[in-house]
Amino acid sequence: MNKTTVTPDPAPADAVQARATDSLVLGIVGSGGDGVALLGDLVLRMAAHRGLYGVLVQSYGPQIRGGESAVVLRIAREETHYEGDETDLLLCFRLADLRRFQGSIRLHPGSIVVLEAADASDPPEWLGRSELKPYRYPFATMVDGQEVPGDPKNMMGLALLCRALGWGPEHARHALEKRFSHRPQVLERNLTAFERGWAAHDVPALPVLHGHGVPLQVETGNEAVARGAIAAGLGFFAGYPITPSSEIMETLIEELPAAGGRVVQAEDEIAALGMVIGASFGGVPAMTATSGPGLSLMTEMLGLSSMAEIPAVVVDCQRVGPATGMPSRTEQSDLFHAVYGGHGDFPRAVLGVFDTVHARDVMFKAFHLAEAYQLPVLVLSDAYVAQRRQIRDAAVDRAEPPKRRAWKPGDAAARFDVTGAHGVGAFRIPGTEGGTYMAAGIEHTADGTPTSDTHTHHAMNTKRFRKLDGIAAETGDWFRALGRADAPLGIIAWGSMYGLLFEWVRENPEYRVFLPEILHPFPLAGLTAWRRGLAKTWTLELSFQRQFHRYLSSLTDLGGVIPIARSGGLPLSTAELSRMLTEASS
Amino acid sequence: MKPKDYRTALEPVWCTGCGDFGVLKALTQALSDLEVPVEKLAVISGIGCSSRLPGYVRSYAFNSVHGRALPIATGVKLARPEMTTVVVGGDGDGFSIGLGHIPHCVRRDVDLTYAVLDNGIYGLTKGQASPTTDPDLKRELGLAGAAERPLNPVLMLLGSGCGFVARTHAGNMPHLRAMFREAIRYPGFAFVHVLAACVTYQPGSYAESLWKRCTMIPDEYDATSFEKAVEMARAERFMLGVLYRRPPEQKPATAGPEEIHGVGIWPPVGATSESMFPV
Repeated sequence: MNKTTVTPDPAPADAVQARATDSLVLGIVGSGGDGVALLGDLVLRMAAHRGLYGVLVQSYGPQIRGGESAVVLRIAREETHYEGDETDLLLCFRLADLRRFQGSIRLHPGSIVVLEAADASDPPEWLGRSELKPYRYPFATMVDGQEVPGDPKNMMGLALLCRALGWGPEHARHALEKRFSHRPQVLERNLTAFERGWAAHDVPALPVLHGHGVPLQVETGNEAVARGAIAAGLGFFAGYPITPSSEIMETLIEELPAAGGRVVQAEDEIAALGMVIGASFGGVPAMTATSGPGLSLMTEMLGLSSMAEIPAVVVDCQRVGPATGMPSRTEQSDLFHAVYGGHGDFPRAVLGVFDTVHARDVMFKAFHLAEAYQLPVLVLSDAYVAQRRQIRDAAVDRAEPPKRRAWKPGDAAARFDVTGAHGVGAFRIPGTEGGTYMAAGIEHTADGTPTSDTHTHHAMNTKRFRKLDGIAAETGDWFRALGRADAPLGIIAWGSMYGLLFEWVRENPEYRVFLPEILHPFPLAGLTAWRRGLAKTWTLELSFQRQFHRYLSSLTDLGGVIPIARSGGLPLSTAELSRMLTEASS
Repeated sequence: MKPKDYRTALEPVWCTGCGDFGVLKALTQALSDLEVPVEKLAVISGIGCSSRLPGYVRSYAFNSVHGRALPIATGVKLARPEMTTVVVGGDGDGFSIGLGHIPHCVRRDVDLTYAVLDNGIYGLTKGQASPTTDPDLKRELGLAGAAERPLNPVLMLLGSGCGFVARTHAGNMPHLRAMFREAIRYPGFAFVHVLAACVTYQPGSYAESLWKRCTMIPDEYDATSFEKAVEMARAERFMLGVLYRRPPEQKPATAGPEEIHGVGIWPPVGATSESMFPV
């Protein structure tokens, strides 16, 4: 990473009067081709370079490609995992494009609104009112009242944002040079447009936000999952493209071979998990990544992994379901499938991803469990955490990746010996002399011989399920509690709710939050201890069926705990949470 | 090692007279011929009568789930390239539920040997029609889909661009052994179509007529010619032998204009750049 600090910004004209703040929310909206995504990414990366934290959430219209797009970007002095509720600055290249993003963007009385000068209309009512007059700028090139292709709007927008943020032009120029070094013509065109925008001296200023000057790292949840897997010793990945998980495979295509691993794009998700199980049968730590529809296809293979006692890590970036659902939208509705999905009784572990930073850690834990207990481990991410970009401290990977206990001559004669610790026997890696055996999806005896004997089946089930006892004993503290331990109000949630709730308890100290890192087996003792002294408790999730609440109530007495939930789509905001808590309690 | 040294102590579950015994015996003979060490051997299968075979061969064996032997074997071979990897299965496992994996395995050209014991019936589930069941037999036995044409697996594999395609009969032991030996030696994805009849769910007359429909490919046959291989695959009779062996120096088949004289289902056989892209 580039450790050089940035050129100091010009001092504000009236430094004494410049307001300071802890965080700023920027919204950028435009049509396909306006370069909204690029602009958002540039600003986020510049913020990271300044040692600011932040998150960027991208929103599309109904299509995955083309059409209008929006980014909401929050930059902050301290680590943040939530994009904020109200927009401090809205930059909109075309007012008509705003319509699709109703609910994602809201103004407050002090919001700065930057609009296209040729757009005479006023912002819609639902957006909320700012007391400031919109700042209008001629982004579009107009000929006879018609817009024609002209200078890149996003570069003028970048200049205006730099003005508003009080960031000097040198940093932006440097960022552009770095980004477009291999395309000199594009660079020149972009620099020209930037300079044109920079000439606007009268852009209203945002409150000042100072970074700590040491560059930080930008990463998406999907990138973090991929890199966390590599750090955990991943040697083989097979996957099939599916929104919103594809970037895991794309990142691994770029980064896994350099780490000595291999990536295969399979013909479907069944083949993907099949190859993973094959590679892992070969002794190589392996994983796949998918979303709900893919997980449905993989379900038979999950049972195979558990039955044949072959480690496999499966990442599910949940999206709105069922069937095709809404591919780019987030939901927490694959929990039942992850915990219960599949025919027959078989042990598996299920983990949940909180945010980008946690993703690396959780992948390490997933590989540890898979390799140590020789079973499938599901990691539940979701569209919200998978796709959003987050500024984070540099990741520190653990030194030693998990290691599978390999069989050697002299070890137990039977591969599936029922007496092994936690029901786990040493793994026989192909190529090892004297270790030949048969792995099977058919029920088998301790030495792998197919059987249809009732007692053997029960004995083998008992052996396999003993793994869960071992896992539960080891993972009792795999949860995170947020807020003051003696706060009277409690929220139990999971996965990407972490970002919102992290923010919530900071603003509402009367609340505390419990988030399991491992969903199955559930850290129940931890939850029970955490619930002591609560006056009121809610469960919170994005699932119409309230899968999390129902799952929990199958494990423990949830009497008095109020479920709050809605279908997925847009992630929850603090404003919405506040409303839901009030409504659920009345 | 002798052929019998490749056998585990397990007794096969197959019916007396099943072609699977032939496949098992010939496979162990071929492995013995090639001196493959058991710890360097992986035998992978899905589900079906013939898919029980891995349990009978001393190896790192995997009897997985229905139709998915090829993806699993692909993972094994890519993770452990030093393993001689043999995939076995039946016509239901390979040509029905698992069919979608075949062309992709061929495209990847992972060095696997895929032997399908094709008896044109679902034996394990007691006699339903498979994708290769003879329509006359379906009518005779009252099976579903009498109007559905059977697949031609050999032509299909050639069409996908497979570099090694052989056909043999489970009752001809020396030939079966030779075909397995050739297939395992081939450095790429190799397909062996093993014809057989089911002793339990097909009448003896069917077994007899199948045997009579087989003809050996003549010795002077040039197995490097894709066009001739297609002719063999489309012949009225079941031509037994190595139908196609792509020379090692020839690029693996890919579909596309630059591969116009190679193999592949597209462009069509015999197409030239002029006929495909008239100027």
